[in-house]
Amino acid sequence: MGQIEWAMWANEQALAAGLILLTGGVVGVAGQFRGWQFAAYAVAAGAFVCLLEYPRSKRAKGTSVARTGQYCFTVCVKAFGPLTRNYYVRAFLHAAICVPGGFMLATVLGCVCLGIASLIYLAAAIRGEHWEPILPKKETRKPVAQSIKNPPQNPPPRPPAELRRKQAKDLEAAAYDNPMPVTLDE
Amino acid sequence: MVVSVRSWVANEGGKHLVLMLWLGANTWLFMNTFLLYSTGQQYHYLYKMLGLGLCISRASASVLNLNCSLVLLPMCRSLLTFVRGTHAVSTRKTRRLLDKSKTFHVACGVAICVFSVVHVSAHLVNVVNFSASYSDDFPALNLARYRGEDPKMIIFTTIPGITGVLLVLILFLMFTSSSYCVRVSNYEIFWYTHNLFIIFYIILMVHMVGGALKYQTNIEAHPPGCLRTNQSSTEQQGEELEQSEDEEGRCREDAYFQPHYPQTWLWVSGPLCLYCVERFYRYIRSSDPVTIVTVVRHPCDVIELRMLKKNFSARPGQYIVLNCPGVSSFENHPFTLTTCPTENKETFGIHLRVVGDWTERFTQLLLPPPRIDLEILPMVQQRRYPKLYVDGPFGSPSEEVFNYDVSLCVAGGIGVTPFACVLHALLDGWTGFRLQRLYFVWVCRELQSFYWFAELLCALHHKLWQENRPDYFNLKLYVSQTDGLLSMSEEKYRPLSSRLLVGRPKWKLLLDEIGKSNKHKRVGVFCCGPKGISRTLHRLCNSARSSGTTFEFNKESFC
Repeated sequence: MGQIEWAMWANEQALAAGLILLTGGVVGVAGQFRGWQFAAYAVAAGAFVCLLEYPRSKRAKGTSVARTGQYCFTVCVKAFGPLTRNYYVRAFLHAAICVPGGFMLATVLGCVCLGIASLIYLAAAIRGEHWEPILPKKETRKPVAQSIKNPPQNPPPRPPAELRRKQAKDLEAAAYDNPMPVTLDE
Repeated sequence: MVVSVRSWVANEGGKHLVLMLWLGANTWLFMNTFLLYSTGQQYHYLYKMLGLGLCISRASASVLNLNCSLVLLPMCRSLLTFVRGTHAVSTRKTRRLLDKSKTFHVACGVAICVFSVVHVSAHLVNVVNFSASYSDDFPALNLARYRGEDPKMIIFTTIPGITGVLLVLILFLMFTSSSYCVRVSNYEIFWYTHNLFIIFYIILMVHMVGGALKYQTNIEAHPPGCLRTNQSSTEQQGEELEQSEDEEGRCREDAYFQPHYPQTWLWVSGPLCLYCVERFYRYIRSSDPVTIVTVVRHPCDVIELRMLKKNFSARPGQYIVLNCPGVSSFENHPFTLTTCPTENKETFGIHLRVVGDWTERFTQLLLPPPRIDLEILPMVQQRRYPKLYVDGPFGSPSEEVFNYDVSLCVAGGIGVTPFACVLHALLDGWTGFRLQRLYFVWVCRELQSFYWFAELLCALHHKLWQENRPDYFNLKLYVSQTDGLLSMSEEKYRPLSSRLLVGRPKWKLLLDEIGKSNKHKRVGVFCCGPKGISRTLHRLCNSARSSGTTFEFNKESFC
């Protein structure tokens, strides 16, 4: 269990919670229920949470799967620098956003789900994770090594040809020590 | 690539038929319950109070009942393995449907989530209506204690309300952790949250206790709506008095209401018991530790492990699940068997590739890292192998290779493991099977990977040539990375090096060639490898073929 990345799970939960909050808010405003102002707030808050959580973070180890079309969101979220990199900020932000949702029936569910996501973000932050943008890799051509311009002038060190030819009469004397260590290539 | 109707029906027909049946069952249940609650006489007063929300919530509840009971059945793996094994009970078409059991489980799960959203929304509207249209005529029908009671109070002080909230929270946790991304990166989160299902089911069975929705029991004595007719008849006294008394019926007594008794347990308890029995059986079966007999290191980070276990029998193509408490107490990892126990040899083996922290740690326990100075003289040392538990074997699509006249097996890299077991079985005795011809295509990135099974391939090739069936086994090896060593120099692997091609295979040409040699036959295509290959092959199998051959696609995959 030592290497679980909690932030990835918290990201999925926060995105789902944002959608639930948004839907609950839309229902509340459309039905003009009591307290519909909270529902209007929930629409805005849900949309904001969705936009913040849409770009996935790059995994510390392993391949990261980006969501479709997340590049522009990544650029926007990256622009806020340490505010979005740090998961403590996200945890407290989600906790603060979810509170007004609890006052209206239609948005209660979104509030609770976002609260759970905020707790898991807190756990991720305590374990030292942070958000890394997934950016397309820039193609860098490997710089040509210096040694390619100067090929070796001398052949590798070998004993003279007579010694190398296996003497059928004298196998013992024909053996020589390799100056470089040799391993079986299997 | 034009999709041909015949190929498509052969490949996709069964799956889509089951899908249609399932959708039909859900739709029928939804419409039936909806109409019952909107037109049923016993719900007349309740419907007047709550409106459409009542019908939608009850209809979605019945769909949820069906899906909650169906979702457990595809996960009873031992039972499915048994059904796959008994050829008397199931035909090849049914066994092909079993390959898609995980997809069916996901479909039922998604249906549960969608209809839960519908159910919860409808019930929220119901709660608001319970509070706003508090009925003074029929006090027994009310859920609210007084008119205008805060709906949140109603939710949190009744059993259906609290259990409903808990169920939604558990469902939310289970749903968000089962996305592909989380499963690939942190399988443990998925596994532990998904095991919350047992709490989900227990709470589900008490969800209806408390009886929020009631139905009227005395319809004959008190036809719904007769209060109003009694009132209207007193208003229009003279003319219609006799008519209304004759036509509308008499209100002999007050309406009497009774809550439904919980029905969910009828749907859910059967599959839940079956699944619990299955888990228990698997736990008992895997509690015997296995004895590790040999550990062999192969090139390209592959370890072969040979083991021995009492009363273990398996068919070629099946897989087992390993648990090593020395590495991690709760992690279980599936590996396909590469050798099955036979009458002559009781050991069974797996080939595992070292990628990821569990396999790395496991390999370190099995083979301590070699010290450089001891490489020249191998020393025999007493090794203490870690304790290992094996659960299985479980069935997989590759078991069907023997049940076609002609089969094409396509393997990518380490995906060759199910087919290695098939080849071992052919080496033991190839005459007993229905299979008359096997095409084997193995694509690897590096040449060294072919050394995992080079001896097995050569042995099978020689045996079949000796026994005068050279066309039985047709081998093609492909090395996809074009830099690096490109030929096998050993003399004993000559059959392999002459069948080795550099570059990626051209699947369309391959299938055309196979089709020409096997006209009007049904060829089973088995693919175990990366998604790109299996997608291309699947599309090709569905497309038109001039030779009249039908290619049936079977895919093997984990997670």
